[in-house]
Amino acid sequence: MRLNLAPVCRPQQWKPLLTGGTARRSYAFQSGSLNFEVFNRRAKWLQKERAAANVEEGRQADYLKDEVAMRVCERLLDVKRQFPRVLDLGANSCNIARALLRPNPDPESEPPVTDPLATKITELVAAESSHSLLHRDHDHPSLSTAHVPDFKLSRHVLEHDELLPFEPETFDMVLSSMSMHWINDLPGVLSQINSVLKPDCPFIGAMLGGDTLYELRTSLQLAEQERKGGISPHVSPLADVRDVGGLLQRTGFKMLTVDVEDIVVDYPDMFALMQDLQAMGEGNAVLGREMGPIGRDVLLAGDAIYRALHGNEDGSIPATFRIIHMIGWKESPDQAKPLRRGSGQASLKDLLEGQ
Amino acid sequence: MQPQKATVRPIQRFASAVSKCSAESAAYGKCILADYNSVHKDLCAKEFMRLKDCYSLAAKKA
Repeated sequence: MRLNLAPVCRPQQWKPLLTGGTARRSYAFQSGSLNFEVFNRRAKWLQKERAAANVEEGRQADYLKDEVAMRVCERLLDVKRQFPRVLDLGANSCNIARALLRPNPDPESEPPVTDPLATKITELVAAESSHSLLHRDHDHPSLSTAHVPDFKLSRHVLEHDELLPFEPETFDMVLSSMSMHWINDLPGVLSQINSVLKPDCPFIGAMLGGDTLYELRTSLQLAEQERKGGISPHVSPLADVRDVGGLLQRTGFKMLTVDVEDIVVDYPDMFALMQDLQAMGEGNAVLGREMGPIGRDVLLAGDAIYRALHGNEDGSIPATFRIIHMIGWKESPDQAKPLRRGSGQASLKDLLEGQ
Repeated sequence: MQPQKATVRPIQRFASAVSKCSAESAAYGKCILADYNSVHKDLCAKEFMRLKDCYSLAAKKA
């Protein structure tokens, strides 16, 4: 259920929305294109540019994106293929490239030392709309390809982050980590991803979903309701894991895998959490938010409520990041398909009753 | 642009002042928690004023 918010949110007598009417993006609509703008693209670009300008803070705050990129790349350990040309959509600061270049990515395997995942890839095209963020770690040692000489990282700045300027069927894999939750037209972008993939090639993605930052959302809603008498959105509406499967299927991906995991990070107070979010470039960019910074009263009240409602015993506060991982394959004639209905030979009823 | 290390952001000064008011902050939180399904404007105004006074004092001292 999505609330239709007026461009300027004046305080009104609204019931507090603890479970959040604004929290969930709905993709359960009838067929036929529904063009909606949820995020202000220029605001998001500006936030990313500013985050990239603070190089040290940005690198410190990259822990979440690096962790998710590592988990995305772990899914590559199971695929025994070479990928000549791979697209990293929404590359941020090339976190996926960094995860691919890590030495010994799977220490528990036999043999004990494995090659970096970048050996499976010849060219990684990192596409991102923010030039500064993409080039922030240009000469950083973590992105050095000296130990993987056949791997090439090429950076591509996107003019429009929802229009892919690539020819159809030119990529052997598309990866996307922690950037799809800022896309307005997600079905459109997914269908573009489907078209740039060669047949029988995977799309592996990870995005923030559902109950991410629900603690922050509820605390700020209560604080604003008590201090100002109304609320305005502070946390984006995010896709739910139930909708993602349907979205991928409608776009034409086959052999889907969708799973969800929670990463809970503890912070000393709400302000540290908000500073880290800003340094990550994950500030609020919802259209219809109240412009300008959050007032001191609301911040003060919000921190107190956060601590009372969600605080840990040791005085720290948790922040939940719910990551939705998805894998979908481009259709190909030689892929395994589900059998025709009615072609089953064994009867489950007999099998179960026989026991 | 001032160098990043030299300046302390206003939010960091705010955070350190607020950290000195944990008792008042807990009292305000408790008041909200008692009735969080029907929060309206100034439900816990008294506790908030105490919290704000404590913060102003801590900010002045710093």
